[in-house]
Amino acid sequence: MNRREVIKNVALMLGGAFSAPTLMAMDNWESSTKPNTNGAAFNLTSTQQKIVAEIAELIIPKTDTVGAKDVGVPAFIEMMLKDCYKAPEHQSFMEGLASMEKVKFLELNTDERRGVLKLLEQETKKITSKTTPFWRLVKELTLLGYFTSEAGLKASFEYVQIPGKLELIKLKPNQKAYAY
Amino acid sequence: MNLNIKSKKNNTFDAIVVGSGMSGGFAAKELTERGLKVLMIERGHEIKHIEGYDTAMKQPWEIEHRGKTSNISAEERWANSRFWGLGSEEVVNHLTNDKKNPYIEKRAFDWIRAYHTGGKSMHWGRQSYRWGKHDFEANAKEGIGIDWPIRYEDLEPWYTHVEKFVGISGQKEGLEVLPDGHFLPAMPLFAPEAHFKNKMMERFNRPVTVGRVANLTQPQDIHTSLGRASCQYRNKCQRGCPYGGYYSSLSGSIPAAMRTNRLSILHDSIVAEIIYDEQKKRASGVKIINQNTMQTEEYFAKIIFLNAGSINTAALMLNSKSNRFQNGFGNDSDQVGRNLMDHQLGSGATASIEGFEDDYVYGQRPNAMYIPRFRNWGNDKQTAYLRGFGYQGGASREGWSRGVGADGFGADFKQGLTKPGAWTISIGGFGEILPDPNNRIYLDPEKKDQWGIPMIVTDAAFVENDWAMRKDIIASAVEMLETAGFKNVTPYDRPTHMGLGIHDMGTARMGRDPKTSVLNAFNQVHNCKNVFVTDGAAMTSASCVNPSITYMALTARAADYAVKALKKKDL
Repeated sequence: MNRREVIKNVALMLGGAFSAPTLMAMDNWESSTKPNTNGAAFNLTSTQQKIVAEIAELIIPKTDTVGAKDVGVPAFIEMMLKDCYKAPEHQSFMEGLASMEKVKFLELNTDERRGVLKLLEQETKKITSKTTPFWRLVKELTLLGYFTSEAGLKASFEYVQIPGKLELIKLKPNQKAYAY
Repeated sequence: MNLNIKSKKNNTFDAIVVGSGMSGGFAAKELTERGLKVLMIERGHEIKHIEGYDTAMKQPWEIEHRGKTSNISAEERWANSRFWGLGSEEVVNHLTNDKKNPYIEKRAFDWIRAYHTGGKSMHWGRQSYRWGKHDFEANAKEGIGIDWPIRYEDLEPWYTHVEKFVGISGQKEGLEVLPDGHFLPAMPLFAPEAHFKNKMMERFNRPVTVGRVANLTQPQDIHTSLGRASCQYRNKCQRGCPYGGYYSSLSGSIPAAMRTNRLSILHDSIVAEIIYDEQKKRASGVKIINQNTMQTEEYFAKIIFLNAGSINTAALMLNSKSNRFQNGFGNDSDQVGRNLMDHQLGSGATASIEGFEDDYVYGQRPNAMYIPRFRNWGNDKQTAYLRGFGYQGGASREGWSRGVGADGFGADFKQGLTKPGAWTISIGGFGEILPDPNNRIYLDPEKKDQWGIPMIVTDAAFVENDWAMRKDIIASAVEMLETAGFKNVTPYDRPTHMGLGIHDMGTARMGRDPKTSVLNAFNQVHNCKNVFVTDGAAMTSASCVNPSITYMALTARAADYAVKALKKKDL
């Protein structure tokens, strides 16, 4: 599959996955009483886990500092979805993963994967549902998991646990942000 | 029989204080310091200052859900988690399990509770403002509710007394609308806030000041002698501060009362009833139920201070029925439980700020800026609503979370998020709610809680005055941020109910006439003078400023009066 085909497929998938009837169904889902609202019902297959891990690593790759996989972001995403989100987001996340499976995300090379995510980012902007779409979920949880992990936080920011004072200062060139 | 006499003697004190929160703690301090032997009764479990703050020193990665509310928390704390952030593991276990302590919402009311030593004083926002003269006069001038039986001058010395003990950082401004107090050095405004302050004065003649906050910027002997130290600028106050950097009953009033050796504290003890002595026409004590063992016990005292929090204080009075008070203790006026007020919040505006790229801050300021009320003040006359609002808010530089909504991913994206982002600003209104007898709590005639105490029903909501004010809170916020030259000015209006201000008050109001009020000018129950109510329940109107130091000032004043009256054998 070449890049053009990949992108065409993703567009089709996304169109299918987030069509108006689906969105309506998702809204209805939230207001009806579904047995599927407890975390136990949300589970990823090993393929899906791999896709999540690869997407997280593309968002926050290993560079001269640790990346998303190094600090356990993939498992964090799954735990957070299970513990802190409910059926509509679970549904939205699973549909996003289904799209990724259909375009055989894991078989694509890095450039093709980046192309898919860029398209996904643009397409996500068109979604008006109140349920958080797949891309936003995976991106938010990747950033949260990474920047609040011990290694991710300490590599990215100047960590100050006990400032002891409050001071207005001037920022030096290239100064990292403080984290507390 | 001997046993009974002995147990009655052991269970007898000079004073009983019901509740250990903001006002209960202060009552215990003032009464013990004046020589009384005091029993403080707390319905929740014990939390010890410092060692009880189990999340205080946790690092970000040690908070499992990193500040988000888990589904389990949201279910167990169904009311508490309506307040932003209170569902997080940082604080959630210090807030009341609503599933185990349910109430009935006839109309939705966000009741935020903390049943443990120190109550909500452990978690409060710490903003501390004196009321102005106008706040005590408005009801009478406008014909709203009833008149306060006191004026600013009655409370003024007690504000000073409280401020010295609590330790409040603030800037003197000389404003009539927001009287100055006894302040520790002020915290700084950030560069874009100072710009905003200048613009507001220049264009609207509206003052802006840094928040007046109960954090120690320069501890005095009165604070260090209790083991309190300077604020460390971590801004994690709500977890409890091991340094005693901010004021709570746990760090301040309870240790002060303890060092007199005249305070005893009973935990896990729900006061179910006030015992009324029909012969002596006085309250003789209280009946408690141990929340764990269900055992009941009676305690006796010459005077009783009710500081259970406005809703629970009113519920306790309503549940205390006797021959004399068949409609609930002290409730001849039928005002107990009524006139429930709060401050409306959750609306305002945000904006992004261009410039100030070199300005940054070391440390986290546990404070904000404050815009005092300017509506229906001076020459301003609003036709759509009465009273006014103040704004709290401030500027900050965006952190990594700006990446969530921004385009991009990958190495450069990752690198970019390690730098401070652009400045943004947000201001939100705190609006005065008027007393309305139809906004109330009452006891369900049939349903009981797990201790056999009637369940509390909330029946209150915003009315037209509140909605009209809310519109203006949003419109004025937009106007001010635009006038300051900020960009992308965006109004916000979060759906909230009454209660979310966590300033519930008014349910046993002070007044001059026993026919229309519950308490007199010294917070005594009109028809049973040895019972004092000095929590939020006593409030006759709400002002728009945060109420805690007013509750404490009323408490100190009432305690002083009570002890003098006891000595004169008037009580």
